[in-house]
Order: sequence, then C-alpha cells, then structure tokens
Amino acid sequence: MPKQKINQDWFKLDNSAKIFPSVSNSSETNTFRVTVTLKEEVNVELLQEAVNIILERYPMFKVRLKKGIFWAYFDYNSKPFIVQKMDHRVCGEIIPIENNGYLFKVLYHHKDIAIEMFHSLADGGGVMQLLKSLVYEYLLLNRKPVTPDNIIATKNDKPEFEEYEDANAKYYNKKNRKHIPEEKAYRVKGTYLDDDQTGLISGVLNTKQMLELARKNDMTVTEYLTSVMMYIIYKTQIQYREHMRSNEKPVKIFVPVNLRKHFPSKTLRNFTNFIKTNMRMDKPDISFEEIKVLVKEQFSQGIKKEELIRKMSENVAFEKNVFLRMTPYFLKNYVLKIGFNMLGIKLNTMSLTNIGRTVFPESMKPYIYDVTAAIYAGKFNTIGCAIVSYEDKFKITFTRSIIENQIEREFFRHLTSQGLDIEIESNYVEEYS
Amino acid sequence: MKYCNKCHISIKTNHNYCPLCHQTLEVTKDEEVVEKYPPYQGKLRPVKDITRKILMFISVTSIILLLVINFFTGLDILWSLIPIGSILYFWILMTVGIFSKHNIAFKLFILTITLIFFIYMIDELSSSEGWALNYVAPLLLGSCIIAISFIILIKRINYRDYITYLLLIVLFSIAPIVLILFDVITVLWPSLGLFVLAVFILLFIIFFFPKSIKDEIKKRFHA
Ligand SMILES: [Zn+2]
Repeated sequence: MPKQKINQDWFKLDNSAKIFPSVSNSSETNTFRVTVTLKEEVNVELLQEAVNIILERYPMFKVRLKKGIFWAYFDYNSKPFIVQKMDHRVCGEIIPIENNGYLFKVLYHHKDIAIEMFHSLADGGGVMQLLKSLVYEYLLLNRKPVTPDNIIATKNDKPEFEEYEDANAKYYNKKNRKHIPEEKAYRVKGTYLDDDQTGLISGVLNTKQMLELARKNDMTVTEYLTSVMMYIIYKTQIQYREHMRSNEKPVKIFVPVNLRKHFPSKTLRNFTNFIKTNMRMDKPDISFEEIKVLVKEQFSQGIKKEELIRKMSENVAFEKNVFLRMTPYFLKNYVLKIGFNMLGIKLNTMSLTNIGRTVFPESMKPYIYDVTAAIYAGKFNTIGCAIVSYEDKFKITFTRSIIENQIEREFFRHLTSQGLDIEIESNYVEEYS
Repeated sequence: MKYCNKCHISIKTNHNYCPLCHQTLEVTKDEEVVEKYPPYQGKLRPVKDITRKILMFISVTSIILLLVINFFTGLDILWSLIPIGSILYFWILMTVGIFSKHNIAFKLFILTITLIFFIYMIDELSSSEGWALNYVAPLLLGSCIIAISFIILIKRINYRDYITYLLLIVLFSIAPIVLILFDVITVLWPSLGLFVLAVFILLFIIFFFPKSIKDEIKKRFHA
C-alpha cells in the first residue's frame, strides 16, 4: 500500500469492496443491517444531531462512490446526511442519488436505531463499531450518564489511520494464493416475493442456554448452528427427493470469519473472509451426527491461518492482475458482473453470519434492550441468516426473498425440541399485498 | 404475549397467527403491543408516471412519422433532423436539466455541450453559413465557464464537486482554436475571446487550487 495521509478525503475501495458496486442491484443489494433497540422511544432530532457528530469522527463513512478511469473510489461527500424513518424494506438497495450520495442509512422506528450499510463501505465489525459510537453519542445528547470505558470510540478520539487501511492487502502473500475451482451450490427454491419485500423472522434465545447446547454437542455456537442449518436444509428441501438432478449439487453454507480476531487490525473497512461447509446430500437418511462431524472438520480446515491467507491472497492477486487493472472501469464493470453472475453468487446455498457478542460499557447497558443483525436475501441465495448476541439475548435473524418459510420453522422447532425457549419476532411479510 | 403450541414459541404481536406455521396463536397475556417492524407501505419507488408515458409516446410516434415523411419527400435534405433534434433536446432538458439530482455544474456542462451539437446540426442542415460554430458555440461555452465559475465563487464549500466540470468545459473551450487551424471556424474573435477566458480560468485554477487538480487526477486515474 502506498503511504496515505490521514487528512486525505478520498479512499480507494478495499479489495473485497471492489466487486460490490458492479454486482449490486435491486434484488442483489449487498446491504446488511445492524439494529440497537433502546428501552425508550427514539428522539429523532437528537438522533440526527448524534449522526452529524459521529460523521465528523468517522470521515470514512462521509463519502460517496465515484467512478474513476480504472477503479471507482470513495470521495468526500459534502451533502448533509439525513436520518430516515424505517419502512417495510429490509436491507433494500441503497440508491445513492436518493440518499444524498451516501452508501448507508440510519433508520429509526419506535425504540430501534438501525444502520443499513452497503457492503462496499464496511463489514459487520466496522458497522457495529459505528453503531456503538452513534448510540453512545445519542445517549449522551439525551443527558444519560454514559461513559466510553475504552469500548466506544467517541467524537473526542482522533480517527486513526489504521481504521481506513485495506488490511487484506497488508496480509497478502504472493506465494500462497492458489486458486481452487469450486462447484456450483445447491439452491433453495421458492416463490419470489417482490424485490422490495423481504421476509424477516428472528428468534430470541437465551445466551446461556444456547452456549450450553453447543457445548453439550462439543462445538462452537457457529459450528452447531451451521450444522443445524445444513440438517434442516436437508430435511425440508432434499430428503425423499434425493434422486432429483438439482439435489445432486452440494449444500454449501458461507460463514464469514471476522479476520480482526485472527490478524491484528483496527480497520473499519472490509476485513472478513469465510469458511464454507460443503456436503452433497443426495442420499437417504443423512443423520444430524454425520453432518456435525463433517461441519466440525470443515471448520477446523477453513480456519487455519494458511487457508485464510490463501483465500485472502487469491482475491488480492485477482485485483493486482495487470490486465484487469489496466482495463477501463466501465469495461471492468461488465467483466466483474458477468464473472460474478456466472460463478460468484452461485457458489453458495446461503450465508450464515455470526457477528458475535456485542459489548457495551456498563453505563450504557441500562438503556439498551437488545441488538439485531440482518443480511439481504437475493434471487439465488434466497435465504440469509445473521446472528448476534447481547447480554442474555441471543438473536438469530432469518431474511428471505421467497414466500416459503419451512427452513425457519423447522430450524426453530429443532432448537425448541432441544429444550430452548424462543421468542419470535417477524415483520409478517405475508400481510403485504 | 402470545404462544404457538405447535412451534412452542412465544411472540409479541397484534397479529393472531404464528409467523412460522400460520396457526392461530394462544393469547397468554392480553395486551396491545407496538409491532417490531413497520407495516407494508406500498411501492415506494413509483412506476413511471402517466404524463411521462404520454410524452414518451408522442415523442416516439412523431420521430417515426417525421422520418417517414422525410423519406418520401426525398432524402437529399434531411430537414426532419431539426424537429427530431428538438424533441431529443427537450428530453435531455427534462431528464438532465430538471429532474436529475446531479449537481448543477454537471447539468450545465451536459446541456451546453448537447446544445452546441444541436445548433451546429441546425446550421448545417439549413443554410450552412457557419454561424453555429463561429458565434454561438464560443458564446455558449463562455457563458457556461462564467456560470460555473460564479457558482464556485458563491458556494465555496462544495467547489470540489464543481471543479471537475469547470476543467472539462475549459478543455472543450480550447477546441475552437483547433477548428480555426482547419478553417472550419472563419470568424476569429469569438473563439479567440473564449480561448483567452479559458486560459485565464485554467491558470487561475492551477495557481490557486493546485491541490484540487492534483487530487482530482490522482483519484480518477488510480489503477
Ligand atoms: Zn407456529
């Protein structure tokens, strides 16, 4: 990476961000949402004020996307940022021209403060930090006695250069970048909802109960829930129909890995990689035990440092390709779009992302009810799952672009059958018409 | 609070069926709750409105009609291009000039350049006296430069958004000089006047906003 000055007001797109502008549209929005639910109704004026304060602290979000000759870039955005009332859309397309050029939205709805972010600008980890700072400033403006306790970055902290860095390029290893071709994944089919509609169903579990259940199965929570997901997909979509051609394709679950936990970096930008489970399920009577063993094995393979660096370097090497670099941006756009539509998106059955535990300072906890995360559901990956926990609330949120919801139903029924108490939240998409 | 005895889940909602299995929920505690998510608000991005459709229909049919009439009255004079050009320019004016949310410098730039092409076409198709390039083009480019410069002077804060278009229009303004060399432009003073203005503005930018230009080039050309 060339040396960049901290006071610069434009940024290159990081390695994983480069693909998104070319491949996003009204159905593949590449948007995700993180929500903090307070215990009181949100005051819109104070929220707006807090956002204005926070954007001064995080210049990397005060940008818009512009096209250059070879690559797009983020340029300083002088227009005001306006908070919006949440509507029925969940992780809808962020259309810059309707959003003063900004690539994220701050939404409010009763007690909820949510950030919807275009994936090009940041990943779940980065947005969580932004949202925490926003809620902190909001509570402060609301005259609540909150303190940052080294957990929250406040308006008084100076932005650090590390927050902008493209960490992928930093850990790139030329010698370890072998490309491993992949097979297309099984796809969950169904009756599509309209583009602007998304079905959302959350299950709120008890964190302790959930951790115990995973421990009882000798797995991490993510491993356990991924196994359940594989099993439920098999149960609801494939079993008794194993002979069908389309069911020969392997079920693959894309599980993002927050690389900040594996490599030192303070970046707010994209710094995630993934583990992928992969299993052909075209046979009768696959047992849950069998799936668990396989998932555990695939997780331990996928999380190895060399494997993470390989996947990272594979992407960076692609970007560093001289021919691609010298292709004008508008052509690149087509190349990326075609390549991604032919391959990228079809390599996964669905994504299951575990953002993990959200930590707030003691002083903020009395004001925060819970935290929710959601990812978009597109035309190929018709269902998505996002998990986040705060204190004793462990929340699993499904989003779907189809009417059918057997997977959600059976998934939660599986967990209740293990003795877990679940409270459901839904946006009742079936009422839409 | 409500409960589904089939899924064994509880839920806070005013709806009376379970979102997982659609079976009727048991009421365990009768209360009015605030729904967690907002209800459906209909299509938020309206389909093209009817006036637009009508205008589009009239435009397309007139263009076809004009082309057909022109074809039967002989193709040696392509007079139909003038009304067709007007229709197209009307659309550019509407979409870019009025309804787009791009910044004003971009709008001025696009409208000026397209207007020059349109006027040049009229000149060529009518008497071909060369007034379009001799007088109108330099005048339009000059006004555009002055307009964008004024906007930059007034709206200091946003000057970075506009300076690219100012630079572009300045570069376009040097084009008439080239046309003089090829004898396309025969009346010298408007083009020379424009050239002086363009060079003046260019030097002004180079002297007073050197970082902006450097940044702009770096941004646009990074590979
Ligand atoms: Zn039910």
